[in-house]
Amino acid sequence: MPLHMLTLTATLLLSAAAVPALALDADGMKKVLETIDERQRNAGDHKSLVYIQTKEKSREDVVMEAVVYRRDASDQFMILLLKPKAERGKGYLKIDKNFWMYDPTVGRWERRTERERIVGSDSRRADFDESRLAVEYASEYKGEEKLGKFTVHHIRLTEKPGADVPYPVTELWVDKETNNVLKRQDLAASGKLMRTVYTPKWKKVYSESKKEDVWYPAEIRIYDEVEKDNSTVVLIQEVDLRPLPENIFTKAWLESKSR
Amino acid sequence: MGRLLLIAARNLRQNRRRTALLSAAVVAVTMLLVLLGSLGNGIQATLLEAGTAMITGHVNVGGFFKITSGMGSPVVVDAARTLADVKELAPEASRIVQRRRGFGKVVSESDTIQCALTGIDATNDEALRGILRIREGSLDNLDADGHSILLFEKQAERLNVSVGDDVTLSSQVVRGQTNAIQVRVGAIARDMGLLSIMSSYVSLDVIRDLYQLDPDTTGVILVYLDDPEQAGDVKARLREGLLARNHRLMEDEPDAFYHKFQQVAGEDWTGMKLDVTTWEDELANIQWTMKTFDTISSLLIGVLLVIVVIGVMNTMWITVRDRTREIGTLRAIGMGRFRVLVMFLLETVILSVLSALAGVLLGAGIAELLNSLRIPVSQGFQIFLMSDTLRLVVSPRSLLLAVVVVPLLTTFGALIPASRAARLRPVTAMQHAG
Repeated sequence: MPLHMLTLTATLLLSAAAVPALALDADGMKKVLETIDERQRNAGDHKSLVYIQTKEKSREDVVMEAVVYRRDASDQFMILLLKPKAERGKGYLKIDKNFWMYDPTVGRWERRTERERIVGSDSRRADFDESRLAVEYASEYKGEEKLGKFTVHHIRLTEKPGADVPYPVTELWVDKETNNVLKRQDLAASGKLMRTVYTPKWKKVYSESKKEDVWYPAEIRIYDEVEKDNSTVVLIQEVDLRPLPENIFTKAWLESKSR
Repeated sequence: MGRLLLIAARNLRQNRRRTALLSAAVVAVTMLLVLLGSLGNGIQATLLEAGTAMITGHVNVGGFFKITSGMGSPVVVDAARTLADVKELAPEASRIVQRRRGFGKVVSESDTIQCALTGIDATNDEALRGILRIREGSLDNLDADGHSILLFEKQAERLNVSVGDDVTLSSQVVRGQTNAIQVRVGAIARDMGLLSIMSSYVSLDVIRDLYQLDPDTTGVILVYLDDPEQAGDVKARLREGLLARNHRLMEDEPDAFYHKFQQVAGEDWTGMKLDVTTWEDELANIQWTMKTFDTISSLLIGVLLVIVVIGVMNTMWITVRDRTREIGTLRAIGMGRFRVLVMFLLETVILSVLSALAGVLLGAGIAELLNSLRIPVSQGFQIFLMSDTLRLVVSPRSLLLAVVVVPLLTTFGALIPASRAARLRPVTAMQHAG
């Protein structure tokens, strides 16, 4: 083979390796994000039992048990802590744009930021809320990659102006086959990596209101990338999509459960 | 009177043992009074010097900016205009510097600490340069690369870092998101007790980058005066002048800025409001150390003084008893009751004044000696003393107080036995067997 043919062949091969195969265009990416959101969306209410295990350096592991209540249609959200005893009755409640924390030991409500850690763990409220990726972020396709045995889409998301998200930049690794998010990296405004989140187990439950399956991550592993020794594991169990009592998302209801 | 003085002096000389014991007690209490007073003065002086360099100016123009009514940040927007107004309104200022305020985590490979992060202009912040004792590195490093941090010894020890190492600063920024940036340890300073536990200093740019602030913002404008006593007047003038120049002002609340977050978050306003405080307002919460120390030392001195007064009283009772026949004779040859009273009181006055003077001199000497030895104090005491070495400041006022108070109280203790001696009838006294 002549030299110039060899060079051309080599160049084509290298180009093929460098350019991500089957790159998603803007519409393709939007479709992927909408699918992720839609698969997790429930038309009605949501209640789940969650276990939050936090690991911190020089501190004993803490396991907390809590119930998460959601009414996505009206953007209502509540967490009620059940265990350990010291945290029992503590709760978070979202009313309109305000996020409140209730501490039964002092009987006081405190306004908190939506993006703060939940009960001192590495989790944020958004980790328990419905997925709104397509609405809250602008996306950029980074390529098709291998994540272990999975072929994934690597997508970089940047918050849209006015969006209420815990981190301004997020990178997602989405299973090409199932559209499950397998890995997520959250970055600060400075570009520093803040946490890496793995969601290896996805489960589904049938929703009467939606008339189809709703997917949820059964296990969320969060690794703090700033304080490297800190991590959190969230297990989501007993997902119940039946309607909740009408007046449940109120301070009075949460206080009554805290007594 | 001269004769009475002679008799009193002779009696003191004759009862050498008793006199020596009483003198020693009075000397010891006076010395302790001087030393505790000097320690208190030392803490007060350190608090003033260190506090007005590390935490506050003599007058401060800070404030809060609120994006929403529930979220306030210690940021002054429109900084250039505010600074110009402050300069015009406080022409007597000897120095005006700016600092940025923040709070967050300092994270190393080994550990994490939480502390106040103060952004400083290291080149021009003379007050801070004067007070910090740099153990490693240089304050200039904070300005050299714009992304450095000064830690105190204990913080560096806990984080296991030295100059040149990188640490991560992490903090919740204005809209509640968490931001983190990497900075280099530029200097490590000696600990300064309470004032250095929860604070560290970074370049001005670090706070701006961490909180993503506009360049025309600052945290606080610190005004230094030649006479700190004028702080109240300057504050009043600044408040009035800033209001007149269309700045919005917070209610005058004499408290440290970090105590105002919750109050500000609960108020229903948005935008910028300035807050003018004096160094006394900002240090109000640290003054408890002084109050605690004053209370403890007052109690201690009080107990010791009571013991000495009882000792003097007891000794005088014994003296009166021993010299009852002498008193009878003196009364019989014509000495009046008042002169007998004065004679006994003079003994106590001579003894207590001379002993108090000796105690004051000894106390002042020991204080100077302890200062020259620069004795290191334990970590627990460092918090209280705000210095890593013992520092005593002898003030003429406390010396004068010791010289006046101790003799007055001991003389008061001698009053009852002396008046008893004066009331003795000559016949009864001369028949006394003692």
